[in-house]
Amino acid sequence: MTIEKKSRRKFLKDGLWGTCLTCLAVVAGAFAFKKRDDEKVWQLDPNKCVACGNCATYCVLEESAVKCVHAYAMCGYCDLCTGFFEPEPRELDTGAENQLCPTGAIKRSFIEDPYYEYTIDEPLCIGCGKCVEGCVAFGNGSLFLQVRHDRCLNCNECSIAAACPSQAFKRVSADEPYLIKKAGHT
Amino acid sequence: MLRFGHISICIFISIVLCGVVFGAERFPPPDFDESGHELPSTDYITNITPRHTIYNYLDVAVLVAALSLSSWFVLKKRSRRSVFILMVFSLVYFGFWRKGCICPIGAIQNFSLSIFDHNYALSVTAILFLILPLIFTLFFGRTFCAGVCPLGAIQDLVVLRPIKVPSWLESSLRLFAYIYLAAAILFAATGSAFIICRYDLFISFFRLSGHLNMLILGCCFLVIGMFVARPYCRFICPYGVILRQLSRLSKWKVTITPDDCIKCKLCEDSCPFGAITKPTVEWPQIGYTKSRKLLALLILLLPVLIFLGGFGGSSLNRSWSRMHATVRLAERIYLENQGLLSETTDASSAFRATGEPIEDLYDQASVIRKQFKFGGWLLGSFIGLVAGLKLIIPSIRRQRTDFQADSASCLACGRCFKYCPKEQVRLKSLSEKQEIADDDKI
Amino acid sequence: MTTKYDNQNSDKSMKASWYEAAKGGAVVAGVFSVIILGLLVLNYLQKELLDPVRAERLENLKVTLIEQPKNEQLINTIRELDLQLRKDKIRRLQFSQKGGLLLLGAVGVFLIGIKSAKAFKAKLPHPTAVTDQQARQIRQAILARWVTVASLAVLVLAVLFFINTPPIDFAGAVSSYLSDEEIAKNWASFRGPQGSGISAYTNIPTKWDGKSGESIIWKTAVPLPGHNSPVVWGDRVFLTGANKQKRQVYCFDAISGKLLWQADMINPASAADKTLDMYEDTGYAASTVATDGRRVCAIFPTGDVGCFDFEGKKLWSRNLGTPDSMYGYASSLAMYQNLLLIQYDQATADDNKSKMIALDTFSGATVWETKRPVPGSWTSPIVIKIGGQSQLITCAEPWVIAYNPSNGVELWRVECLGTDVAPSPIYAGGLIFGIHSYNSLVAIKPTGQGDVTKTHIAWKAADNIPDICSPVSNGKLIFLLESYGKLTCYNVSDGTKLWEEDLKTSFTSSPSLVGDRLYLLSEKGIMSIAKVGSEYTEVAKSSLGEKCYASPAFSDGRIYIRGVENLYCIGDKN
Repeated sequence: MTIEKKSRRKFLKDGLWGTCLTCLAVVAGAFAFKKRDDEKVWQLDPNKCVACGNCATYCVLEESAVKCVHAYAMCGYCDLCTGFFEPEPRELDTGAENQLCPTGAIKRSFIEDPYYEYTIDEPLCIGCGKCVEGCVAFGNGSLFLQVRHDRCLNCNECSIAAACPSQAFKRVSADEPYLIKKAGHT
Repeated sequence: MLRFGHISICIFISIVLCGVVFGAERFPPPDFDESGHELPSTDYITNITPRHTIYNYLDVAVLVAALSLSSWFVLKKRSRRSVFILMVFSLVYFGFWRKGCICPIGAIQNFSLSIFDHNYALSVTAILFLILPLIFTLFFGRTFCAGVCPLGAIQDLVVLRPIKVPSWLESSLRLFAYIYLAAAILFAATGSAFIICRYDLFISFFRLSGHLNMLILGCCFLVIGMFVARPYCRFICPYGVILRQLSRLSKWKVTITPDDCIKCKLCEDSCPFGAITKPTVEWPQIGYTKSRKLLALLILLLPVLIFLGGFGGSSLNRSWSRMHATVRLAERIYLENQGLLSETTDASSAFRATGEPIEDLYDQASVIRKQFKFGGWLLGSFIGLVAGLKLIIPSIRRQRTDFQADSASCLACGRCFKYCPKEQVRLKSLSEKQEIADDDKI
Repeated sequence: MTTKYDNQNSDKSMKASWYEAAKGGAVVAGVFSVIILGLLVLNYLQKELLDPVRAERLENLKVTLIEQPKNEQLINTIRELDLQLRKDKIRRLQFSQKGGLLLLGAVGVFLIGIKSAKAFKAKLPHPTAVTDQQARQIRQAILARWVTVASLAVLVLAVLFFINTPPIDFAGAVSSYLSDEEIAKNWASFRGPQGSGISAYTNIPTKWDGKSGESIIWKTAVPLPGHNSPVVWGDRVFLTGANKQKRQVYCFDAISGKLLWQADMINPASAADKTLDMYEDTGYAASTVATDGRRVCAIFPTGDVGCFDFEGKKLWSRNLGTPDSMYGYASSLAMYQNLLLIQYDQATADDNKSKMIALDTFSGATVWETKRPVPGSWTSPIVIKIGGQSQLITCAEPWVIAYNPSNGVELWRVECLGTDVAPSPIYAGGLIFGIHSYNSLVAIKPTGQGDVTKTHIAWKAADNIPDICSPVSNGKLIFLLESYGKLTCYNVSDGTKLWEEDLKTSFTSSPSLVGDRLYLLSEKGIMSIAKVGSEYTEVAKSSLGEKCYASPAFSDGRIYIRGVENLYCIGDKN
């Protein structure tokens, strides 16, 4: 009696075991044969970005993986750069009281009258997007944020993406991991 | 000439990079005819590439190696020391080096999302990370938990003075893990959130930074973990729930003794996870019919619980659907439009700037709510089923004659091996005769 | 035998000394990690609590600096604080990164120590016999069931707790935008509903006197000048005023005339362009505001646009860039659903700078922008409804263009206007009327698509065409008022001129229609009220005693007239 019961149980168990294994194999196989995309990485679409500042605070890294990038070809090289200066600058110089960037990460250098070049000191940039906001609102929008892949841990769920108000974060192919702004032909 | 070259480079770049974005031009960029200034290049950005894909495959290879070693250490070599060393290695590699991403626990979500969202491409690494430990478990039991999982490892290291959690308490606390699993699948499948990743307790330690709340919670769990061994694995881990069930079927199982059990009781309290089951005594004949009747009643209750669970789950769809950004946005826009809120948020402003019809947003939100309604039925029924089974199982009277590792709960850590006299004999640190002599003395 | 005993003994003492060492190590590492943890927490608290306070202080100092730009000491304070903040930021970052590693190491050592100490003190298990195992088995089964039941009860409670979320039913979401009835009842933008200049109420007074105060319910001084017209919603009256330095929005209480609030428009880019000089006839605040009953939006010639709630709280503000306008920007705002419509014509057609802009009134975000092939113009856009479809009508040289107001897509256009267009279009008797200053009145059938110049012009008239004032029509007759006082009446259906009358005074404000009475407000502040009919019949004449350039606004039993200095509310005092 008990032996019979035991063998019946064993049979059931073996059947279940086989089923599970087959299922797993089928799932693995199905995904292996399915047209699979490349590995993906997180990136933010600068056109959707509203420069809310979440990139600086929501990244799991203390120093955010998002930093500012300058598309020089788009820049107007303005004397009064609204990405560099406070809304009502006292004077157009590099005094701390006139600068918008909280870490002083933008360098302003004279090129030729009346043009100034603005370069980003990467290690200082915290990705707060204050300059981006100013540049997009009143300038050409040549300053924009990008996820830097030397810093990004490529978390399974990006904390910034979850907090992004404009859903600008998306997964892009690891082969083309940046969305660089480019001068428009309007 | 310079301009022409510039334009041709632009065209070249735009062909190479399709992800080029255009912006507004309020101030025409200068020519710099006077100074001949050359624009700095932005190549330094694009030259920073993400981690190469090949390293992801290396991770998979390390996973396979670790799983094989773990299984071999536990089942064949029967060495706690080796398992421990492997565990520390896994903690360093998968935890501190790879920063805990991607892990099989989180991969459940990627898998769920890929099934329901056709635009979401599941990476090969994710599917392998999910499937490989399951396959290993089908053959060798939960050797993944023993020596490979970094979350298990960090908890295992802090086990100091484990107290015994009574089996009845443990079983009902585990209900939480089932709920967590079901919720994780629901939220992932609807594209709302990856809650396993969001509320990962220990990943902040691996990254040495994280949000304060999660850091505090992680610390709490480690402190609790000193006295209640591996609390996350036993009561919360959603992947552990799957491994439990598969491990019941596994071909080879961890045994306390390499030989026959001599019922010496020495191993009785050796397991910090309470995974050692004791031999049963005869069930009393008194009240037999009563207990049968109870069992029948509980079995009849099962469908009721499943239905009630489903009903409860689906009626929560409005609360749950708020995990989805679109629903949150739609609700915010709704409140603003009705004049109940006067200020806009970043999200609602961003949406309004797109000029997309609000009706479309409402439609999307309604669709997501419907998904949650349906998903809520499934989730609730599942929880009802699990709870129903938890009521039924105590009534099933099994006969056991030996001290055994409960295949579902056993984390294959190998702590109990050294307590078994037969094991000592196998290791030749104790002779058969000595054992008998000792027995006589007692 | 003795040797074995000795061995055991030495073994024991060895174990004891190892135990002590491990224990000591664990204690040291434990204390060390607690200290580091404390420092990290301190560091974190400073970062989270102290730094934002200092950052706010810095921001406040910067604001103060705008007011006192010459304060050298203030500048130095700002620079020092800024440097200190940045230094601390970097120091804290480095500390937390290094501290994290140190803590990790210390905790590792602590664990090794305490675990080895424990291993040296490990005791052999002493299994005890359990009595009454049978009862225990049964008890466990019962407990397991009850604890599960308890967990289920907790779950049910959780469900009941969360189920009570306030329901937001998208399917039942009614349109929150203003209904046509509400718009018709109020005077929400320049020249009221559809920009027609027609009052919805006929109980409007005809007799008043500014000097004696007869029928003047109240009179309140407006702080800054402006040529824009009052806008009335419920019991609120809105105006703007500006000079070279300041731009302000005002809200008056319609009942008492009290200035409820005034709000300054401060905008970053306009501050950089303070040298704007305006043509005197246009002034610094020519554009009339628009309201949707919850918010009021204003625009100024500096390109500043702002939106305020009815309590005066600024919801958003933007700068659209200073428009390059020959006589100064003067177009008024229009609203459609959630959109603020701005006709932003400027410079010349070749400059390609003119555009129609639609901003979201909730957030100020640009929803659409459509380029316009026109130079600067001084007309105001109107939003009308034709056969269920809304049209946004704009006039500028040489086009009358209709757009779909929800997305800015052009519906039709007619080439019929000349340079320097100022009178705004109206919709009457199924026709759109556009005015080519001094030249022609054009009646257009608003049903076409694309360029309908050849097909959709119903008729044209060329006599006594105004240059500033917009026309008014009751659907059968259309009245034109030239700025030097010639009033002309045309038949709407075929364009025949019926009569003309010289009022012999100059006009800037546009004519209005109340029932069958025409209200004509001269620059001197004298309102001539005439009966609509086959000839000019003056029924009343009332004087305000103050110069007037703005068009009046009408509400139930009242007229609101803006003089150069005061805002008047005229009606039955009882």
